[in-house]
Amino acid sequence: MKTLIVEIIEPNRLGELMTASRKFCDQPDIVAIGTGDIPGSYHVAYQTQECIGANLTASLGDLIKTNGYEIVLMSATTLGASIAGPLAILLSASIITEATGITDDSMIERPIYGGKAVARYKADTWPLILTIRRKYFEKDPLNGQTSSIPLPVSAGPVKLVTEKIEKAEGVPLEDAEVIVTGGRGMGGAENFSMLKDMAGYFPKGAVGASRGAVDEGWVSPSLQIGQTGKIVAPSVYFAIGVSGASQHLAGIANAKCVVAINKDEEANIFKRARFGLVCDYKNVIPEIVRALREES
Amino acid sequence: MHIAVLAKVVPDYAVPSSDFELVDKRAHAKYTRMIGLYDENAIETGVQLKQKYGASLTVISYGRDSDVPILRKALAMGADRLVLIQGESDDAYTLATNLKLAIEKLGDVDMILAGQQSADMDRGLVHGLTAGMLGYPFIPQVSRISSENGVWTVDQIMENGVREMSVSGKAVFSITSVPENVPRIPAVRDIFGAKKKPVEKMASVSGNGACVTETSVEIPILTSVCELIPVDDPGVMAQTLLKRLREARYL
Repeated sequence: MKTLIVEIIEPNRLGELMTASRKFCDQPDIVAIGTGDIPGSYHVAYQTQECIGANLTASLGDLIKTNGYEIVLMSATTLGASIAGPLAILLSASIITEATGITDDSMIERPIYGGKAVARYKADTWPLILTIRRKYFEKDPLNGQTSSIPLPVSAGPVKLVTEKIEKAEGVPLEDAEVIVTGGRGMGGAENFSMLKDMAGYFPKGAVGASRGAVDEGWVSPSLQIGQTGKIVAPSVYFAIGVSGASQHLAGIANAKCVVAINKDEEANIFKRARFGLVCDYKNVIPEIVRALREES
Repeated sequence: MHIAVLAKVVPDYAVPSSDFELVDKRAHAKYTRMIGLYDENAIETGVQLKQKYGASLTVISYGRDSDVPILRKALAMGADRLVLIQGESDDAYTLATNLKLAIEKLGDVDMILAGQQSADMDRGLVHGLTAGMLGYPFIPQVSRISSENGVWTVDQIMENGVREMSVSGKAVFSITSVPENVPRIPAVRDIFGAKKKPVEKMASVSGNGACVTETSVEIPILTSVCELIPVDDPGVMAQTLLKRLREARYL
């Protein structure tokens, strides 16, 4: 099926989309957003620097209609959320968002009810607009590069005023092998420093937070893990003072091992955990840090 | 200025996975129903903008008659009136079609807010479809909104930072949660006052459908068995935990 990927030039996102595209075609086309070389081998590559979804929709609609694309693939990110709905209306297209799996017979799986259930869908008409959730598809290595032709984009309704990119301290959450996450049970912003200490002892360690901790204003929203935050897949996920709401668990479904530390032995997080410590985190985190320090 | 907030009543999203049951591919009717997780952030944002700009604030919901008492919370928070579109479809296109009709019927809506994602179907889609049907610009994951001379300036939370953007005229914004829009708890007098605020009901229309067929809904089997590590001696506990993680090759 004729497939178009629409994504910013970022190898992890592109690699996951390339893997998803193989369910529909051998070699997709791409609209690559941003500057620089486009990693991976595409049949045709278009490129634009316009990064605001609302300004891209019309041009994408023209391109998809003109070339008869049947599948339009995007990551379920801010950009994907910006484009998917309005584009579906423009094209009278089928649409499925937040896919976590595609079967060999092109059935699309996606979680509902905060990940407490999984629904399967099939598209009835084409084109199909499909956004895929991050970290659910293996990254394709993206061999080679593809030279691009410019995608003409007319001036759109939205103007970019400023953009503040947060410099991630250390490893980005999506790439971390060990994540130390604090929830509302941390009790305050100042207590996250011990989580940073602990994460720092792991080669690819990072600190995350639950929505509760973000809503309290203790950490930046960019650290939020969960269905509507970052989707992560570390080897070890330390959940500290995290209750384990299903929306949070949906963001760590692909974590290999969850270690729950919580005073409340009834906390839902223990049902997802491989190892559990029923205690006050303030008593045990310093000991874990001490043990890691002695080993290093 | 007239602000409309799209809000949906959903089954209790705090029900743990282990207690969750389906009936006919949907959440069991026994669960308490409540306003969606992010929809309350959108209502709070709407109330703050109403207070700042002297706007009127209408909440629009697609759902059942029995949702009205739950939606009165939005009126108690500060919304002026409620429009309920009576329907029971889960289809995103159908919802968007009906929301568009309700917005057009109101006639003078300047800005539409919605939570970034519902807590039942989890699509994060209906607001974008509604914007597309209305022909309005759509900006998702917005954390702050201000208005000056007919221009909206918004902050959008991205995966790696914050983007400030401006847009003129009518627009649809989906709202994410930030400390500044944590939903207020209505005062008792506002809860009583909400009972006197107007509720308008509209019959729904059938939409064209999202052109997808739902073939199955299942509850995934949870296989994790938690091994509790004794914490009598925190030092021993730390050593034991790290040893067990290494034995299992997680570290």
